[in-house]
Amino acid sequence: MLSDWLRHTAAATPDARAIIEAGPGEEDRVTSFRELFEQAASLAVRFVEHGVRRQDRIALVLPKTTEAIVSVFASLMAGAIYVPIHPQWPKERIETVLADCGARLVIEGDSASPPGITDRETGGSIPWPVASSTSKDLFVEGSLPRGDAADSALILFTSGSTAQPKGVLLSHRAVSAFVRWSAREFQISSADRIACPSPLSFDLSTFDIFNMALCGATCVLVPGHSVWMPRFLVQFLREARITCWYSVPSILAGMLEDGRLAQHDYPGLRLVLFAGEVLRSHYVSQLQAALPQADCANLYGPTETNVVTWCRVPHGFDGSLPLPIGQPCSYATVTVDPASGELLAGGDSVMSGYWNRPEDTQRAFVSLDGKRYYRTGDRVSQAADGNYLFLGRLDRQVKRRGFRIELGEIETALAGCEDILEAAAVAVDDGKMGIAITAFVRPRSPDAITLVEAKAHCARTLPLYMVPDHIVFLDAVPTGSRGKIDYLALSRIAKALNHARSDHATPDHGNQDRSPAIHR
Amino acid sequence: MQHQTMEIKTAVRQFIAENVLLGVHQTTIEDATPLVTGGLIDSVGMFGLVAFLEARFKVEFVPREINVHSLDTLDRIDELIRKKLAAQKTDASATGQQIR
Repeated sequence: MLSDWLRHTAAATPDARAIIEAGPGEEDRVTSFRELFEQAASLAVRFVEHGVRRQDRIALVLPKTTEAIVSVFASLMAGAIYVPIHPQWPKERIETVLADCGARLVIEGDSASPPGITDRETGGSIPWPVASSTSKDLFVEGSLPRGDAADSALILFTSGSTAQPKGVLLSHRAVSAFVRWSAREFQISSADRIACPSPLSFDLSTFDIFNMALCGATCVLVPGHSVWMPRFLVQFLREARITCWYSVPSILAGMLEDGRLAQHDYPGLRLVLFAGEVLRSHYVSQLQAALPQADCANLYGPTETNVVTWCRVPHGFDGSLPLPIGQPCSYATVTVDPASGELLAGGDSVMSGYWNRPEDTQRAFVSLDGKRYYRTGDRVSQAADGNYLFLGRLDRQVKRRGFRIELGEIETALAGCEDILEAAAVAVDDGKMGIAITAFVRPRSPDAITLVEAKAHCARTLPLYMVPDHIVFLDAVPTGSRGKIDYLALSRIAKALNHARSDHATPDHGNQDRSPAIHR
Repeated sequence: MQHQTMEIKTAVRQFIAENVLLGVHQTTIEDATPLVTGGLIDSVGMFGLVAFLEARFKVEFVPREINVHSLDTLDRIDELIRKKLAAQKTDASATGQQIR
């Protein structure tokens, strides 16, 4: 069980630093393994006394703080499933997820004060434990339930192709497979200071918090507001003396481009891992040149499987060819569907299924030679050296800043606005660090809705990373011969508009609130 | 101060219109229009906005000043910039006194 790792480490190295979090002033807040364990155990006891049963869901609507990590381990010690939810998601989306997972408890708050814990069934609340009250509670720690490795540990909600996010159910065994492998492969030890700027609702966050518990490493929390400020991240990397870094490629690209990563030295930094989307080859070579002493590696896998293949960046990588997604991790079995070129992934790290969606779960898996594989939806090829290369998606899912987005979900959200009759979204290369999403919408009448209103509507229902970069108003959405939306034509228009925008950085001030209607 | 406020808001409004919203008429962004929570600017757009504010008003932000709330409306951005400019002035006169 994942929480056993914390128990063992807290017994072995009680005074070592488990978590370092930047305080509101200049002082860092340090939590030792003993403190982390005692706080988590004390909270777990309260959960159980309150009536939380094995495999109940506990939603954590929290930024990645010390309290959030205490809540993760407390939930696991109580035998419950934690459901991390990004606190900046729109209220409507948070409510949908809370209802979908049937959360028993909700823990929410910001970093300024102790979180509030609410029972969604009774409306009652549980007080957050104060540090000094733990010794009494610890006495009854033996009353906590014993779980099984097949028990679920967490549910991660990702974009679904309809309006509803889908919950990916991961067991203790699944998380353990990845964490144990990464600890061994990258030789994580108590000397390491690990930083991972991803929120808890992202599968990357299993790396730092569970390697901390397993190996006695220190988890150094990235101040939330720094995450998309490359200059601050570079400063953090240096000042916090990070030894292992794990983030999405967009963040690294930003640190290279705008944060001037290459202008400083990072003597202790020995490992840089990235996952979640493609890091363009020229950034890979720049990264290696900027951090000559660090091992860099590309980790690949959708949320449903966590990491299944990986590739260490070869020394002297010149960026002339794309970096492969590599070869399977020791716990993973991968193969390619010969008909479609789709990568199929099996093994211990694969999800148990989608929460409450038996049909989606059934569709997501395929059986080959008696083995169960998850259909990744990613098209790959295999090179002569055995490395897999990512070629693209088989569906309309896109990655933007490492976040996974189903374009259909954006369309559903836009069409949910009463002033919009029809919407179609496409993603095209933005020519810089990633992709730009353009939504084409047909309004109820020419003056029914402004761009500002349409964007505000999106922001009420979608996380900010899913709000389209550009919205183009059309009299009619182009369709193909069979009456289906002509996405190829829309992509061409989006590309042309992006191109025109980058050519004319300063647009005409006389422009009105809507782009001119484009006719087929 | 009134003059400065107009100048800050106009400059930020123009920056957002030209670089973030691309072609939206400036007047549709009101002083209280939520920029970040209203979906007009995302995290990467926020980074661009900060870079612009630093260059345009010769100020430098520290990490804890940057959050969704401090930059969500023209009113709040204006308040933040004026506070920073005033602090710089105080610093400058304090340093001046020391030198004398």
